[in-house]
Amino acid sequence: MIKLEHISKSFGRHQVLNNIDLKVSKGEVVVILGPSGSGKTTLLRCVNYLEKPSGGEISIGEFKLDCRHARKKDIHQLRQKTAMVFQQYNLFRHKTALENVMEGLLIVKKLPKEAAREKSIALLEKVGLGAKLDAYPSQLSGGQQQRVGIARALALEPEVILFDEPTSALDPELVGEVLEVIRKIAKEGITMIVVTHEMGFARDVANHVVFMDGGVIVEEGTPSEVFNHPREERTKQFLKRITPELNYSI
Amino acid sequence: MKLDPSFIWTAFVQILSAIPTTLYITVVSVLAGFVIGIVVALIRIYRTPGLYPLAVGYVTFIRGTPMLTHLLLIYFGLPMIIDGLAVQFGWSFRSVSIPMIGFAYIAFSITAGAYMSEVVRSGLLAVDRGQIEAAHSIGMSTPQALRRIVFPQALAASLPNLSNSVIGMLHGSTLAFTVSVVDINAQAQIVASTNWKFFEAYLAAALIFWGLTFLIERATALIEKRINLYNRGGVA
Repeated sequence: MIKLEHISKSFGRHQVLNNIDLKVSKGEVVVILGPSGSGKTTLLRCVNYLEKPSGGEISIGEFKLDCRHARKKDIHQLRQKTAMVFQQYNLFRHKTALENVMEGLLIVKKLPKEAAREKSIALLEKVGLGAKLDAYPSQLSGGQQQRVGIARALALEPEVILFDEPTSALDPELVGEVLEVIRKIAKEGITMIVVTHEMGFARDVANHVVFMDGGVIVEEGTPSEVFNHPREERTKQFLKRITPELNYSI
Repeated sequence: MKLDPSFIWTAFVQILSAIPTTLYITVVSVLAGFVIGIVVALIRIYRTPGLYPLAVGYVTFIRGTPMLTHLLLIYFGLPMIIDGLAVQFGWSFRSVSIPMIGFAYIAFSITAGAYMSEVVRSGLLAVDRGQIEAAHSIGMSTPQALRRIVFPQALAASLPNLSNSVIGMLHGSTLAFTVSVVDINAQAQIVASTNWKFFEAYLAAALIFWGLTFLIERATALIEKRINLYNRGGVA
């Protein structure tokens, strides 16, 4: 289980996250929604310490990290338990799809080359890129790059995969293939925290939906609770703007 | 006075013997300069406390003064320091036992370091922040991320500038004649001193420099082709 307690983050005087608490059970898919600037991406980046929280605690299973006294070793351990899929894919540009997936296995997990290779090929086949092993990122479409990114994250067998708006940089046509892959791995029981604007996806795949605004969690619950019966005025407002009214009559 | 074409050839052959000296100075100063450049660039990018102002001062001072001045400062200053220390601590070593070319190595390495730190820095800055974040996100430490992800890409990005620096140092190495090192240019002068056919001798030296530069350019193009296999972006 992943537990975030009292996570705060400020950039200078600007407080981006204010005392956030969040629990994610094993195998759960949590979707974080919210307008831009609400702090959802920052929260995600705090979970694997790409952003250093100003305060709070992060625990994953038995492992616990106090953000005020985090040592290098703790951060390193935290990052081994988490993996991130980026909005801009961030594949290693000078490495092929296969090398991108193998990198973490070789350098961080210290797997022998043959084993790393085998595992990476299997993962790339799983995300439908078995034919693109030797392609460089610049030779792949956005959707393909993002699927390599997902394979790279899966390779490390993290306790949780963090998705930071994984489809926001994609052509509308390519969004489907990436969501399909995420859906597939969600079914396998991998714990995920997903920041997204894809409402349909959130409704289908999430076990738990969190709505953030102004650096705090405004409302959370099951998808049907949040989407169909939002309690907070701010949530209603946001959902109205982002999902078009369908109950019209002709 | 008329041009003596046959002497160009004679001079050419006699100057060839000085090529190793020129290449030694170039290679040593470029390699040492590259190492200094990487260290200085990293200090400047990470703003290492204490070292940052030193790094900035080094770069502005060296880039703000001519290469010839560095050589002269090292040539006259270093023996004073070494001999002063030798007396103080009772060493038997004296500055006279330093070969002349040693001063050129040291001075030009310092020169190259300052220029190359800017080359390296621009290369490092050209690498997207997302690359090191991705490396961190899969659990790599900062040194691992730098070595495996950032440096290879920075090197590719700075290759044209690096080749410029190498050519600059090759040509700059001619200044070593001021401390009695016989490089290509000095050899040309020596060859011509018996018959005063300086034009022919310097023409031969020019051809040799051009040839060496051509080789550097070809080598760069080859490396660039290999290194940039992945790089289908940019304007090319």
